[in-house]
Amino acid sequence: MSRVSLLLMIAVMASALYLVRTQYESRSLTTDIDRASSLARNLETENDRLDVERRAQATPLRVEKLAREQLHMRTITPAITQYATVSGGAAASASAPAEVRP
Amino acid sequence: MSSRSVQYTSSPLLASKTPIWRSQFIVAVIAAGFLGLVARAAYVQVIGNAFFKRQGDVRFVRTLDLPANRGRILDRHGNILASSVPVRGITANPEEIDRDPAKLKALAKLLGMSQAEIDKKLQDKDKTYVMLKRQVEESVAKEVAALKIKGVSDSPEYKRIYPEGESVAHVVGFANLENVGQEGVELTFNKDLGGKAGSRRVIKDRLGRVVEDIGEMVPPVDGRDLQLSIDSKVQYFAYEKIKESVINNKAAAGSVVVLDIKTGEVLALVNYPSYSPGKRGNLSGAQLRNRALTDTFEPGSTMKPLVVGLALEKGIVKPETLIQTAPGKLQMGTATITDAHPHGVLSVNEIIQKSSNVGTVKIAMQMQPHDMWEVFTQVGLGQKPQVPFPGAVAGKVRPYKTWRPIEQATMSYGYGLSTSLFQLAQAYTVFAHDGEMVPMSLVKTNQSQVNGARVFSSHNAAAIRNMLHMVTIQGGTAPKAQTMGYSVGGKTGTAHKVEGKGYASKKYRGFFVGIAPIDNPRIVVAVMVDEPTGGAYFGGDVAAPVFSQTVQQTLRMMGVQPDMAVKPQVVTKFEKESF
Repeated sequence: MSRVSLLLMIAVMASALYLVRTQYESRSLTTDIDRASSLARNLETENDRLDVERRAQATPLRVEKLAREQLHMRTITPAITQYATVSGGAAASASAPAEVRP
Repeated sequence: MSSRSVQYTSSPLLASKTPIWRSQFIVAVIAAGFLGLVARAAYVQVIGNAFFKRQGDVRFVRTLDLPANRGRILDRHGNILASSVPVRGITANPEEIDRDPAKLKALAKLLGMSQAEIDKKLQDKDKTYVMLKRQVEESVAKEVAALKIKGVSDSPEYKRIYPEGESVAHVVGFANLENVGQEGVELTFNKDLGGKAGSRRVIKDRLGRVVEDIGEMVPPVDGRDLQLSIDSKVQYFAYEKIKESVINNKAAAGSVVVLDIKTGEVLALVNYPSYSPGKRGNLSGAQLRNRALTDTFEPGSTMKPLVVGLALEKGIVKPETLIQTAPGKLQMGTATITDAHPHGVLSVNEIIQKSSNVGTVKIAMQMQPHDMWEVFTQVGLGQKPQVPFPGAVAGKVRPYKTWRPIEQATMSYGYGLSTSLFQLAQAYTVFAHDGEMVPMSLVKTNQSQVNGARVFSSHNAAAIRNMLHMVTIQGGTAPKAQTMGYSVGGKTGTAHKVEGKGYASKKYRGFFVGIAPIDNPRIVVAVMVDEPTGGAYFGGDVAAPVFSQTVQQTLRMMGVQPDMAVKPQVVTKFEKESF
């Protein structure tokens, strides 16, 4: 009888120790998850911020200014545009620049 | 060996009898001790449980706010018009701040403030919290943290960034420091954009790390991204052109509205003067006003095509019907209606082309006030536009029962009723969309075609378009509206500004509303220039050139092929060699 009690007591102790260990592990994993998700969030907001910055570099205002001042480009008009029709006309229009027709 | 020695086991001391009460006393004391423990346990676990639990929670349970990101505002191609980025707010605790002058000087320099400003904020030593500066860039906040000043800390905040700046300011509007929309679509769609913050209860350890979640987490719901129908390139171009026109004509203000009539989407809605939504220092009402939607004016001659359209619909006239407008004057009771120049006999086509008041009144007086009122109402005059915008006005069209004959006459050429530029542009979709009034949308619809409510027959709408085209060719009032490659049509308007109870003698508003390409319309563009003082003030001179440039660039960006032959000026290698 006492042997059974002893065995059960050892089992209870082992289980208790295991519980403590599991709890510890679970807490450190929670910390890791938390850290990873806050990192993910930070990266997401960083991505948003970079998106905005990229857009700020490509606004029509800036593009036009650079095109005019640095690349010496000018606004396009239909007179200096060639219109190519898709169905078989593409090759023809490349070699016949003088015709601009609807 | 002494015989007196006694055996240890038979010591007389041991022989003395221990009183039984002593052991009983010990047992009783121990039992009492245990009872005490049980009572305490019962108190802690059962009676005072709530109190102890609360005290425990106060020490290690924290509720974390999970902020929701405010949605972005995008243009029709997905370009960002407004987005939130994380920044920091720098705070201080005057009670315990380290007042080392060298450190405070470095702090002031980083925050771009003067030392006096910082000292003033930290003056009251009884306070435990002051905000030193809001919306500080994260990189600056990191440098501040690196100074390691005791009593200075930071907190997370969001800042709204508007990369497109002035050109879309009136459409997008802005949100305040608390991320709540104040103007434009930021205000109108605040609820959708704002999202809903979440929360989460956690246990933190002594290092401040989250070690356990308690209960259920309420996840934050991020704000929805909002895709507008605006095309940022068209918007920018229109803004540049109206800005140029306002400056060249020494005008007070100007607006442009560009509508896609196939889908009913608003491609551009610009006003000048404008403001930069990111820098809202000294803003004036003039800069903030979304004039295209909030300012009403008398539409003047731009109403004539509607009246003529109704006359065609009722069979009162045909485009070729001749009407005598000589001598350029018409007496109605005590009032005289005049034309700018006397024209003699004109066809209905020419009445629109030359913008004859007398001719229009002669046609209008053959109609019932009720019919005219109905057309005005059907095309949206006197009614708030459906576009969800703060401050959009309805304009004014009085009930037809109160019209006197002279009022019916003046209304036929656009006086005695008022409209916003946006309503005027919307009204012209009726001619552009084959007689149907197109419902407008500021949000991208992803439809390739919309149907509207029919006002005129398709045949009559085409006849009016032809008259509008005549306005822009030689002999019309707005040849400056012509643009290279595309056929256009439209109507000029020039109205005296109302001041007090009458008309101001030298204050005008010139406008132009038109359609392009005229045979297969894609866009309606309305331009208004307010109080031009540079000499020219007719709509055909101040507004039509802006229309011309805007139409050309917009159609090109939309990929619409020119419908008119253009003398090519393409310089190619081939041509050079043939020289």
